[in-house]
Amino acid sequence: MAAQKRHNLAGPAILVALLFVAPLVMPVYWVMVLSEILIMGLMAMSFNLLFGFTGLLSFGQGAFFGLGAYTAALMLQNGLGNLFLILLAGMLVACMAALVVGFFSVRLDEIFFAMITLGFGMMFFSIAHNWIAVTGGSDGLPVFALPSLVLFGAELTFYTPTSMYYLVLVAVVLGSALLWLIVHSPFGLILKSLRENKQRVAFVGGNVSRLRIAAFAISGTFTGLAGVLFCLFNNMASPEFMHWSFSAKPVIMSIIGGTGVFLGPLFGAGIFFVLEQVIIQYTENWMLFLGIVLIPIVLFFPDGVFGTLHKKFLKKS
Amino acid sequence: MNADAVLRIENLGHSYGRFKVIEDISLAIGKGETSALIGPNGAGKTTFYNAISGKFPPTRGKVFLNDEEITGLPSHRVVAKGMCRSFQITNVFTELTVAENVFTPLIIQQKKHFKLYGSVYRDRQIVEKAMHTLEQVGFADRADQTVSSLAYGDKRLVEMAIVLARAPSVVLLDEPTAGMNPEETENMINLIKKLAKVSGTTFFITEHDMKVVFSLAEKIYVLHQGHLLAQGRPEDIRANADVQEAYLGRKVHA
Repeated sequence: MAAQKRHNLAGPAILVALLFVAPLVMPVYWVMVLSEILIMGLMAMSFNLLFGFTGLLSFGQGAFFGLGAYTAALMLQNGLGNLFLILLAGMLVACMAALVVGFFSVRLDEIFFAMITLGFGMMFFSIAHNWIAVTGGSDGLPVFALPSLVLFGAELTFYTPTSMYYLVLVAVVLGSALLWLIVHSPFGLILKSLRENKQRVAFVGGNVSRLRIAAFAISGTFTGLAGVLFCLFNNMASPEFMHWSFSAKPVIMSIIGGTGVFLGPLFGAGIFFVLEQVIIQYTENWMLFLGIVLIPIVLFFPDGVFGTLHKKFLKKS
Repeated sequence: MNADAVLRIENLGHSYGRFKVIEDISLAIGKGETSALIGPNGAGKTTFYNAISGKFPPTRGKVFLNDEEITGLPSHRVVAKGMCRSFQITNVFTELTVAENVFTPLIIQQKKHFKLYGSVYRDRQIVEKAMHTLEQVGFADRADQTVSSLAYGDKRLVEMAIVLARAPSVVLLDEPTAGMNPEETENMINLIKKLAKVSGTTFFITEHDMKVVFSLAEKIYVLHQGHLLAQGRPEDIRANADVQEAYLGRKVHA
């Protein structure tokens, strides 16, 4: 009998509990840093559904992040202030765009796939940057009134960093939980099979293109969710979210944290931002030092920092 | 033509540009029959396999599986019609477990490949079928091992399990014993014999090792320079002067 895979959910449960109490012991500034870590961590985990699990290196994730952000900003500017509606619309728009980009991209592999997704990403960047009447051009779209949430008759608003943190936390936990379900579903196993050998998948009856498009759309949807959250957190949507250098962030975060473990990219995002905060106290040129830190990580942690530690301490076999 | 042929090929030909790799191949394989396609290197065996299994459409001719035309269908649809194949170079999911390797074709067969929740390990229909397949190839006790940790011959057996999982009516095996040691080869021969007998699967193999061919095949097709040179029972092929000439490059006076 094939051993039923047991998932150790104690670790994630403790992590979520810690994240819920974190604002009680943290200065407000770090609560904001933590919010950003969670949002970018969700983006990185969505990216890793494609990269680590399906074997597709997308360099255009910024497009879907930006689409989520612009959808939220445009809705808020036009008086559509329902939080759920904004979250759903942002995900839907990103999903639709990912279906189209995926349709044209998934026939390619490796560097060619990376380049075509980068190309599509820059197309969206150009639109956001130049269609000033709608997107506000390089200034972006500011958001003044944040949506509120009526829960059990009480109205919750998100104008303080701590309330915003809890909104982000709940959304990111729910989003990650859905991603986790997908990764461990039958579809998730087929994605890993695609990563290992797409020809074999085709020769046991799988429609490789369709499966890849589905993976791309799901990744885009959750990237869009991260984009909506970032727009609310940041009080604006900016074309820079769609720039290729922004699309590189989830790539770097995933590699730092580890692409082979589900939570690896989230930890990668954490390491990325904490490093930034520490280094920036001493010098403006934090990217230089990020590079210096990246080199030993790639050399000594081939599975990423979290991936390597996970292998060493949690998977003793 | 064989009336109850499970796989029927009519005037199949394939060209790369103006170069005709295979030309005018017609054959009919009976249900449950184990047959072999042999021929010197470059005879066009792999091109023939690729053209009928959906790797690429053939330039000319027709392919019928269970009397349904499958000419030019993409590989995943050929599989859905009931023909599955192995490859000369082992083609498995290396970093997955043995069980997961067999789950993959079963998930697709049961149309659960877009199911976004639940675990395959808790899907009894899939787990039972997978274990049944692994028992057939003698792998049930190693279901949880990662394929990358297995020996070469065992990896080929995993590929065999992947191919067999969907219980296809026709199985194409491209050099199933290539690179195997004598013991592994012996095991593979016995396995194919057993499967052909027990499940009634139709095996169509290509092979370089004549010992394998003659111990397995009930019918042999000889491909030479892209043409079907001879076909018949093993003893007929053994005695065929044209075949000997093709292989040895000279006329043999019998």
